[in-house]
Amino acid sequence: MPALVAAIGIALIIISRQIDISIGSQFSMCAIIAGVTAASGLPLGVSIIAAIGAGAMMGALNGVLVAYLKLPSIVVTLATMVTWQEALRLWQQGRLLSLPDGIQWFGLSQPVGQTVVISIAFILLIGAALAMKHLSAGRFIYAIGTDAEAARLAGIDPKRTTFGVFVLMGALAGLAAVLNLVQSPQVQPNCGDGLELKTIAAAVVGGVAISGGRGTLFGVLLGMLLLANVNPALTHFHQPPYWEKAIQGLVILLAVLADGLRSRKNQL
Amino acid sequence: MKPILKLTEIRKSFGAVRALKGVSFELLAGEVHALLGENGAGKSTLIKVITGAHLPDGGKLEVAGAEVSHLSPSKARELGIACIYQQPALFPDLSVAENIALRLKKTGIFSRVRWQQQRANAVELLQRIGAEISPDSEVRSLSMPEQQLVEIACALGSGAKIVIMDEPTASLTQKEQHLLFKVVRDLRASGVGVVYISHRLEEIFALADRVTVLRDGESVGTNAVDTLTESQMIKLMVGREVASIYPPCEGAPGKVVLSLKNLGCAASGVKGVTLDVRAGEIVGMAGLVGAGRTELARILFGITPADTGEIVLDGAKITISNPGEAIARGIAYVPEDRRRHGVILEMPIAQNMTMAIHPKLFPGSILRFKAESLLAANFIRDLGIKAYGPEAPGGSLSGGNQQKVSVARWLATEPKLLILDEPTQGVDVGAKSEIHKIIRGLAKDGLAVLMISSDLPEVLGMSDRIAVMRGGEMVGVIDKDQADAHSVMAAALGTNGKEVAI
Amino acid sequence: MSFKSLLARHEAVLVFVILFEVILFQVLGRNFLTERNFSNVFRHSVEIGLLAVAMTPVILTGGIDLSVGSMMGLCAVLFGMMVNALGMDPWVAAALAVASGALGGGINATLITRLNLPPLIVTLGTFSLFRGLAEALTKGAESFSGFPASFLALGNSTVAGLPAQIWVFFAVAAGIWFLVHRTTFGRSFRAIGYAPEGARYAGIPVARNTGLAYVIAGAVAGLAAVILVARLGEARANAGIGYELLAITAVVLGGVSIFGGSGTVFGTFLGWIALAILNNGLTRISDFKIMDQTVASVARELSGLLTGLLLLTALAIGASIKTLAVRRARQQPIPLSKPDPATP
Repeated sequence: MPALVAAIGIALIIISRQIDISIGSQFSMCAIIAGVTAASGLPLGVSIIAAIGAGAMMGALNGVLVAYLKLPSIVVTLATMVTWQEALRLWQQGRLLSLPDGIQWFGLSQPVGQTVVISIAFILLIGAALAMKHLSAGRFIYAIGTDAEAARLAGIDPKRTTFGVFVLMGALAGLAAVLNLVQSPQVQPNCGDGLELKTIAAAVVGGVAISGGRGTLFGVLLGMLLLANVNPALTHFHQPPYWEKAIQGLVILLAVLADGLRSRKNQL
Repeated sequence: MKPILKLTEIRKSFGAVRALKGVSFELLAGEVHALLGENGAGKSTLIKVITGAHLPDGGKLEVAGAEVSHLSPSKARELGIACIYQQPALFPDLSVAENIALRLKKTGIFSRVRWQQQRANAVELLQRIGAEISPDSEVRSLSMPEQQLVEIACALGSGAKIVIMDEPTASLTQKEQHLLFKVVRDLRASGVGVVYISHRLEEIFALADRVTVLRDGESVGTNAVDTLTESQMIKLMVGREVASIYPPCEGAPGKVVLSLKNLGCAASGVKGVTLDVRAGEIVGMAGLVGAGRTELARILFGITPADTGEIVLDGAKITISNPGEAIARGIAYVPEDRRRHGVILEMPIAQNMTMAIHPKLFPGSILRFKAESLLAANFIRDLGIKAYGPEAPGGSLSGGNQQKVSVARWLATEPKLLILDEPTQGVDVGAKSEIHKIIRGLAKDGLAVLMISSDLPEVLGMSDRIAVMRGGEMVGVIDKDQADAHSVMAAALGTNGKEVAI
Repeated sequence: MSFKSLLARHEAVLVFVILFEVILFQVLGRNFLTERNFSNVFRHSVEIGLLAVAMTPVILTGGIDLSVGSMMGLCAVLFGMMVNALGMDPWVAAALAVASGALGGGINATLITRLNLPPLIVTLGTFSLFRGLAEALTKGAESFSGFPASFLALGNSTVAGLPAQIWVFFAVAAGIWFLVHRTTFGRSFRAIGYAPEGARYAGIPVARNTGLAYVIAGAVAGLAAVILVARLGEARANAGIGYELLAITAVVLGGVSIFGGSGTVFGTFLGWIALAILNNGLTRISDFKIMDQTVASVARELSGLLTGLLLLTALAIGASIKTLAVRRARQQPIPLSKPDPATP
């Protein structure tokens, strides 16, 4: 479920014709920040706000570099990815962080807590899907992803919109980290590793065009469900689960291939 | 009556090129004001100034009597200025209704999108212009004319007081044109001022109240349409005397180098082109922007290969499927867009000059710097290129000298056929006549030259024969002694049924 | 100011940075300027150096290759399997590993140049694919070892006073330097990076030459994998994790523009040295206390973080220079261009 929340963000990023591979590190960083604040006895609400705020700030850094300095998002987020990852390593030295009891499942019983986590993810998905469809902001994201210059002529500010999407991505990574946090008694400083690939794969499999401007969040949900079943399916067919990453990569390639062939056809 | 839009002495330069040299223009409420001029006369720049896409360097812009400075696209829209661009600026992935809505009014980030209302609005607007387009279809699935109609619906729906139409009928069918005319008349009746740009003179007579003619970035006069005849209008557009500063042609042309038979390419809209070009001859290619001249050149250079007809070079039938093949066969193409295609601005001019002859100059792919700079130095001397040396980056040169570098690159390939696309666009007067001398000199040395130009005096002054294209087809080839500005322009515009001598 | 003098200045700045690092770590660190440590610096970073010089042509064309680290993992595993499971001669296996790398680069090249897909997403996909294959082949945990000593010498012996593998690096770097600065291929990489359409209009075989850059990057990644295995004596699926970032950092630090076109192999070389010395020097810092905490442990951990920050700073500075250049270019005439008719 936490991955679904992050996938919402990555879908928006890709629809606006960008990419963010730093979300795994953002996720880890937010998880540790939430964990540390919680472990120091502050109320849960503070942890949640701290995690989301930290995520938004990290997203803002990406946003400034990409939107205002016009740097390619792949390189920017590659650099921030390693920066946060290493900062975390320096800070936590790879230690497991044990969490106070009160934070487990928001201090509720496991079934109730689980329901809360799942509902938050789904409410967010539905909310974001509605916003993408029914709020101007959502339409702006599609517009800049389709054609930034046409968007500018239509009076939309592509820079501000891109910046906003990155900030939102960070905040969602923070929220995802909190939802992940409450599921286990400990938190690892590398808990977000690989999240970027998982979510990007889910998005492109779910029909979000890597060339921007197209895709829906329900597609992302479907992509997520499909990929989540890769491992169980491998087990079912008595195949070792080590193929997961390779399949993820293959799926990304096939998805861009399909997209590339489609846009080639459109050009003719 | 007070004008709703008034431009006074608007100036705009792009570096050394002065696109607008003090243009004044006014538009009244409830009039259709035609803007007329040759390619490159400054119409597009003027429109972009009015819509806020370009900031003018000087002059005054008043909307409804109030001076406006620092106009931006969104501010222009707030002031009630709408523009239908020649190339629709729509979002291909979004639906028609949504495209219309996005263009209509600026909304806050968190305002709701009212799909029902948006759709109803689109239906109503499309009905008003009589377009049979579903508001729910994605724009990418629409044809070019349909997209144009969506653009028109956008402008209509924005309740604009000033509507600019840049060649709106260029791709419309007869029926769609009639609907459009009705829309324009309705707009006029409701007090909207329409700036109407078109190359079709009959449309201007049918629709416009007044006409302003632009020439070389200046307005040469505003007249009521009914006081002018078609031929007076053409005269105003062409204006200049064809000066005798062009180098004279000498000697008779030789054998046929290039022969095109029924050549066409569906993807770029060129069809049935038949043309011969002989050694030692300059064939000028006249026509309006979008007439298919550059597209023809791109076919000959293998960028968009031909799918019908045949190309015969030096008596042998050939196919050309990529630029490398074209170069190997002795075809050279000096492209129109110098900064994007002609010269790589960041690279030294020596490297630019040798770029098309890598296999020939550098056997085994190994660079020979001495040979390269020797070759460059020779061209710099022969063509009179002003640069501090072969190592000067292309971007440090003036437009005219960049063009000479681009020409040098292609002369280095020792071609049989040289295609020049707008060789003197954005080049100052001095460099222009130098380039003309170079081109004539090349023809004298036996090169077959195909010169695309929208500069009518240049075409008339330089060419031995003039081929005119319209709508992707060759509509006539005129001999030098029979060609004058009027006949070429008339053929390019396709006015009056008078057949042109072929 | 010409571009050449700007680049010359960039490289001069890098030399200065390297000298500064050497002096700093000599003062703060222990046993920094020793022959042994000097050898160590290079022995431990040759793989990254190889990836960086091979990444240079790719970035010059305006592309990027994120898959080189994963390619190392895959090639290392393939090499290990060929020697251990198939009993192949290690040198034959090494050649085959390099060939597999070239093949993997060929996959990137085909997708990018023939199907016109964006390099970043293609190589992100192969980044995952190659690593995944490596993990699948080793079932996640298996590793291969027990290579003959003659092979391990490649990673651990000294030839003419320098680590053996550094000679391999010099050979590859010289080859790529020659390719980039002395052949028409290098010329075309730049042209493609500055203006891909302009290069096409000049008759340059854009697809073929761009593809070549990715194939070379793949082959060199295979070579780097072999050298890494020889040094560690062990082939694992996790070989080269994160190396793509270090390589890109060295390239960008070396003054190669991430937008393509400008940059030199020598710049990348200096960028790599600066990075290598930084990482090594930080591990040498000791006996230096701030608030009762030894800096040593902190410093050792700092290197990764500094790498990331360094890349961000170099990028931001590069972008500012580009912005200035664009502003300058605006002073020049812009043609009233019309839209491209039907580019296929």
